[in-house]
Amino acid sequence: MCVTRRTVLQELVESTDAERRETTTVEALASALAADERTLEEHVDALVTCELAHVEADGRIRATITGEELLALDTDEVIIVDPAGRDGRSNA
Amino acid sequence: MAGRTRDRIGFMSCQCECVSYGLGTLMVDTENDAASEESDEVQYDPDTSRYDIFECADCDNVVLALGRDEPPMSCHNQPMERIRSIDMSVKTPDVKQVLLEAFGLPKAGLDICLCVIGEGPLSANEVAETLGYDRSTVTRYLNKLVELGLLRRSELNREGGGVVNVYHSVDLERMRRETLIGFYVWAGEAAALIEEANVTKQEYLDENPDQDLPEVFWDSFPDD
Repeated sequence: MCVTRRTVLQELVESTDAERRETTTVEALASALAADERTLEEHVDALVTCELAHVEADGRIRATITGEELLALDTDEVIIVDPAGRDGRSNA
Repeated sequence: MAGRTRDRIGFMSCQCECVSYGLGTLMVDTENDAASEESDEVQYDPDTSRYDIFECADCDNVVLALGRDEPPMSCHNQPMERIRSIDMSVKTPDVKQVLLEAFGLPKAGLDICLCVIGEGPLSANEVAETLGYDRSTVTRYLNKLVELGLLRRSELNREGGGVVNVYHSVDLERMRRETLIGFYVWAGEAAALIEEANVTKQEYLDENPDQDLPEVFWDSFPDD
C-alpha cells in the first residue's frame, strides 16, 4: 500500500498527543497504515524535518503541536512548511 | 482569401455564473494562407469549444462566455448570436506562458507550485534541493505567491517557541474565480492595447489611402 506523507501525519496525530506527550512507534504506524516500515521511516524523518513530528530520546515518535495545528487548518493541500525563528522571520 | 474582420467586444453583464469580458475594437487583416498555419495554432470550433463567443446582430459587440451551456447573452435586450466561424487562428496558449504573462508569476514560483503539488507537506529545504534553488529564493517566491493570491500563509505555533510558516493552497473555488477574473482583467488590458493600435492603424490608412499597410504596422511608428 502506498501511503502519502500527509496520511502518515494524520495517523500520527490521531494516535499521539503533543501536549500530553503521548507517543507511538514506527512499527505501530506501519501496521496501522499497512505500509512497510522503511517507507514510514522516510516519511517520519521528513515530518521531523518539517517540525511536524518529534522523535523522543527512546526513539518513540509523536506529532508536534505544529503538526496538530497544521491538520486543523483543514486545507486541501498543505504544501510547504517553512520553520521560522522566534521573531517570525524565515530561517533562510 | 483575404479578409478583414472588425469586431467590437464590450463588457457584458449576465445574471448567471458565466463570465464575459470585452476585447475592445479588433481589426484583423487575414492575409490568410491556410497551408502555412503552424501546427500549434488552434481554430475556434463552436461545437467543441470550452467557451462560446457571441455577437450582437445590431452592433459590433462581441463577448466571450465561459462556463455556461445555454445562450444567449443579450445586447440591446436581444439575444446575441453564437459566432460560428472566424477567419483567423491563434496560437494554442501555454499554461506556463499564461501564468507568466497574465499574473507575472515568476518561473521559480511556478516551479515551486508544480514541484509540490500532491507531495506535501514538504520543507522549504526539500523544495530548494529538488529545484536547485537557494533556500532564500524559495522563501522569497513563496511570499510572492502569497502576494499574488495563489497561496495562503498561516503561522503555526512551534514547540519551544516561535512560529512555523505554512504555505498552502487557497480555496479552490475562490482560486478558480480569482484567476479567471484576473486573467480577464489582463485580457481586457491587452484588448485595450489592440484597440489603441487599431485606431492608430485606421488613422494611418486614412492618411495614406494609397499605401499598403506595413507588414508589422507598429514597427513603423516610433514611441511617443
